[in-house]
Amino acid sequence: MSLIQIKDLKIHYPIRSGFFNRVTDHVRAVDGINFEIEEGETYGLIGESGSGKSTTGKAIVGLEDATSGQIIYKGHDITKASERRKLKYNRDVQMIFQDSMSSLNPKKRIFDIIAEPIRNFESLSKEEEKKRVQELLDIVGMPSDALYKYPHEFSGGQRQRIGVARAVATKPKLIIADEPVSALDLSVQAQVLNFMKKIQKEYNISYLFISHDLGVVRHMCENLAIMHRGRLVEVGTREDIYHNPQHIYTKRLLAAIPKIDPKNREEHKAHRQAVEKEFLENQDKWYKNGRVYPLQQIGKSHFVALPQDKLEGGR
Amino acid sequence: MLFNKANKQNIKTEAGEPISLPPSGFKLVLKELLKDKFAIFSILVLVLILLFTFLGSAFVSKESLDTNILDGLMPAFSSGHFLGTDEGGKDILSLLIVGGRNSIVIGISVTAISIILGLVIGLISGYFGGVVDDIFMRIIDFIMVLPRFMIIIILTTIISNYNAFTLILLISLFSWTSSARYFRSFVLAQREREYVMASKASGSSNVAIMFREVLPNISSMIIIDVVLGIAGNIGIETGLSFLGYGLPASTPSLGTLIGYANDPVNIMSRPWVWLPAVVMLLIISYMINYVGTVFQRAADARQRR
Ligand SMILES: Nc1ncnc2c1ncn2[C@@H]1O[C@H](COP(=O)(O)OP(=O)(O)OP(=O)(O)O)[C@@H](O)[C@H]1O
Ligand SMILES: [Mg+2]
Repeated sequence: MSLIQIKDLKIHYPIRSGFFNRVTDHVRAVDGINFEIEEGETYGLIGESGSGKSTTGKAIVGLEDATSGQIIYKGHDITKASERRKLKYNRDVQMIFQDSMSSLNPKKRIFDIIAEPIRNFESLSKEEEKKRVQELLDIVGMPSDALYKYPHEFSGGQRQRIGVARAVATKPKLIIADEPVSALDLSVQAQVLNFMKKIQKEYNISYLFISHDLGVVRHMCENLAIMHRGRLVEVGTREDIYHNPQHIYTKRLLAAIPKIDPKNREEHKAHRQAVEKEFLENQDKWYKNGRVYPLQQIGKSHFVALPQDKLEGGR
Repeated sequence: MLFNKANKQNIKTEAGEPISLPPSGFKLVLKELLKDKFAIFSILVLVLILLFTFLGSAFVSKESLDTNILDGLMPAFSSGHFLGTDEGGKDILSLLIVGGRNSIVIGISVTAISIILGLVIGLISGYFGGVVDDIFMRIIDFIMVLPRFMIIIILTTIISNYNAFTLILLISLFSWTSSARYFRSFVLAQREREYVMASKASGSSNVAIMFREVLPNISSMIIIDVVLGIAGNIGIETGLSFLGYGLPASTPSLGTLIGYANDPVNIMSRPWVWLPAVVMLLIISYMINYVGTVFQRAADARQRR
């Protein structure tokens, strides 16, 4: 059985307007998605800005209320706060945030930041607590004199590693990594990703790796879900998504990966433009009134959001 | 000097652990303050006034505040009465010292109560948002449109055993609202920051997040509000006492002293009775306000970075 199951999850935000501030409409940030994450795997959730990735991640950590649907962890539906408390859910499910600066309290020392989940979920003596925090800093390659410094004294990459250390502090089973490296330089990205992989092996952690860039996650994720307008447009293994993409949106994300291949630069450009043209001009073929179609199974592990009649033609 | 060093300085504690200083509001605010000559001067003057009124009160004899008709209406610079006496023979200098102290104590007390109340309500309202925020904001809007002076004046005449303590409570009843609004606006901005969510995911309770995480991040706003609040609240007390609805006649304050100017004879021919109190009030209000705006400037500069 998988570690966690997301079942028909919907998160709608009310839009209020008018004189009486009444709810007039909803933003369908997440609009009915399903997926499962296995123990120890890295699952990719990919989509452009505004597609609902962070909202999904926050709902899984319990930071956002689900409008409907279920999130099943160890047989419990944790969309209810009472269930989460009972299970000490956040000891097992943690998050690495998108913005490393904003996610570390500027007025707290690194020691107190990393120790916060430990203090809340475990009862360690002062001595043991300090030892654990030091170990954690060590794991993410930070010197131990970082302990008594404040977040503003570190670079972006260092701060994100501190965020990683906090997320693994209680030895969780699942970490939602919300674009953990998109704010960092390429060289620093690789460094942080390597620490994340190392930790995954050491503690057998599952990641939900959120990104807007299919290039970054290529070597991280065994399975991926492509998200657009609050729904999943394509789901599959790394093989399915990178070598046999079916949905125009997936193809577009793939075409957007920068390529270091000067000989075929013109070719890549032409391909990118062709995909973009198809995406812009044939919306009706790929979307139903702008809404993503339900997913259809087209392979052992491969699903795509297209109507039945278009599946044959598309292949 | 400590304040001129860069943020990243490390200091060794006795145990040999290197410690860093937080990106503190205080340090930057102090730095800004020390750059401003007039601000330093203002603080010195304010300290002198505090010493003059608080230490001075210890040396004021009880008799000098007692009515003593025989010594009434003495002019300034008389022997034993540097600023003369009032009709009742009370020593004006002694009244100034004790009255100044009373006004300052009331200003500080009202500020303390309204900042604490405003802080708690501003935190709750801004942090939870939604319906909770709506309810508190409607209550605050309502209190703010009430004519506060009129209500305080009416209540002072109704309440039977009326003293400094009830006056403090009455003024606080109205002045917490602007503090609550002020703090709420900063809490609203802090709530959106991801460290709040990170704290939630780390299993901290809402109360812990409000007071342990968010509160330190609005500390420089609290200093500003405290400083400006004290000046404003001394002003309110003085105004009420001047009109005769503040402290009872038996308790001197800057307002009751300035109230002597209500008498047409006093205002023209005996300025030493009321003028020192007016000057003291102006200096206190102006200089506290000045220091407050320097704090505000420092905090704004920090936010711009
Ligand atoms: N609290 C909220 N109230 C109203 N709308 C919201 C709220 N949070 C998010 N949204 C909307 O929901 C949609 C999805 O937002 P989300 O943050 O999940 O996107 P994302 O995929 O993480 O994008 P990004 O890559 O920019 O982080 C957006 O249209 C956003 O405007
Ligand atoms: Mg996001």
